[in-house]
Amino acid sequence: MPKCKKFEAQAIDYAYGELDSALVPNFENHLTMCNSCTSKVKDFERVLHLVDAAEGDFIPHPIAPHNLEMRLYRKLAEVPVENPSLLSRFTDYFSRFMFILQQQKVASVCLFIAAVISIAFFVGNPLQNKSEYVANGLDTADAHIEQYRRQDIQRSMEDSLRNKHLRNSDSWDTVSQLNRVKERAQGTDLANIANKHLKNVNSDF
Amino acid sequence: MDTMIDDEILVTQFKAGSQKAFDTLMKRYERRIFGYLLRSVRNYEDAEELTLEVFFKAYRALASWQPKAKFSTWLYTIASNLSIDYHRSKARKPEFIFEDEEIIEKRLVATDISSNPEKHLEDKEKGRIIREAVDELSSKQKSVFMLTRYEGLQIKEVAETLGMAEGTVKIHLHRAMKKLQTILQPLWENNEI
Repeated sequence: MPKCKKFEAQAIDYAYGELDSALVPNFENHLTMCNSCTSKVKDFERVLHLVDAAEGDFIPHPIAPHNLEMRLYRKLAEVPVENPSLLSRFTDYFSRFMFILQQQKVASVCLFIAAVISIAFFVGNPLQNKSEYVANGLDTADAHIEQYRRQDIQRSMEDSLRNKHLRNSDSWDTVSQLNRVKERAQGTDLANIANKHLKNVNSDF
Repeated sequence: MDTMIDDEILVTQFKAGSQKAFDTLMKRYERRIFGYLLRSVRNYEDAEELTLEVFFKAYRALASWQPKAKFSTWLYTIASNLSIDYHRSKARKPEFIFEDEEIIEKRLVATDISSNPEKHLEDKEKGRIIREAVDELSSKQKSVFMLTRYEGLQIKEVAETLGMAEGTVKIHLHRAMKKLQTILQPLWENNEI
């Protein structure tokens, strides 16, 4: 009969009724193919049967010791109560404090959440990733640069048109200024606007 | 109806000064603790003394006890430690004393042996041999075996009681089973048990 060491622990657990229920079908399937394990399970079951019977004979049903209550109180009366030392009192208070903390789990969790919210509100999000923060900063800076660039183009465009009204007769400066604005505004919607203004200026003169 | 009251509530009542609460707890567990210790030491008088000691220690320590585990688990922890100390102090394997078994039998409901006294003696002898095999186990193996098999404790509770990891409890249980098989198998093959 081949040895099957791999399943020996499972054979014991199975006979003992301690095998994880998830493993039972697989093990029972193994038993159908393995005579060695089947034999082991039978042996362990026989061991348990014999021991249960012997222990059952030893104490057939629960018995109580004779007069336990009276003997206990007599003994308690005989032995003086020791005064607790300072250290034992301290450890006692500390263990009670730790016990309250452990027991009041809900209160502790609420307190922790309140603390996190307070920190996030007054200091900033402590859980925010620093690298992510830097990336966001760059994005914001790019947006600002683009915004400033547009504002500068618009301002230049407005200047060139204002100059046209002020100078009225001289279109050359206005046209060249608008052409420069159009070049700077390439790739944006402002280029079309500059082009439109150029056409208007040329048609005026 | 006191069985309906949780142990923890009774402990709280005891801490508040109720002596009756401790009596209820004692009545609830004296049989189980005594049975466990009797199987452990195999001596009626010693098991009685140890049971008394368990409840004495529990009474003295209960005021500062914090329910990190179940009350019953705590009692078994005290009982296990006392049992280990007992075996250490004896410095020998527990002996089977027929007198003890006779005392137990007297205290139990009388068994009908009149029909077949020879068979009864034979069974008694076989039982003694098997219990000797159980006593061959190391103290930890025996504690794990007894607590899981006869006290109805889960592996996790045994781990808490004996202060060891669940995996270690399983290892002790496996070793106990293999050792029992090694001892008992030749006996049943020779029809001795």
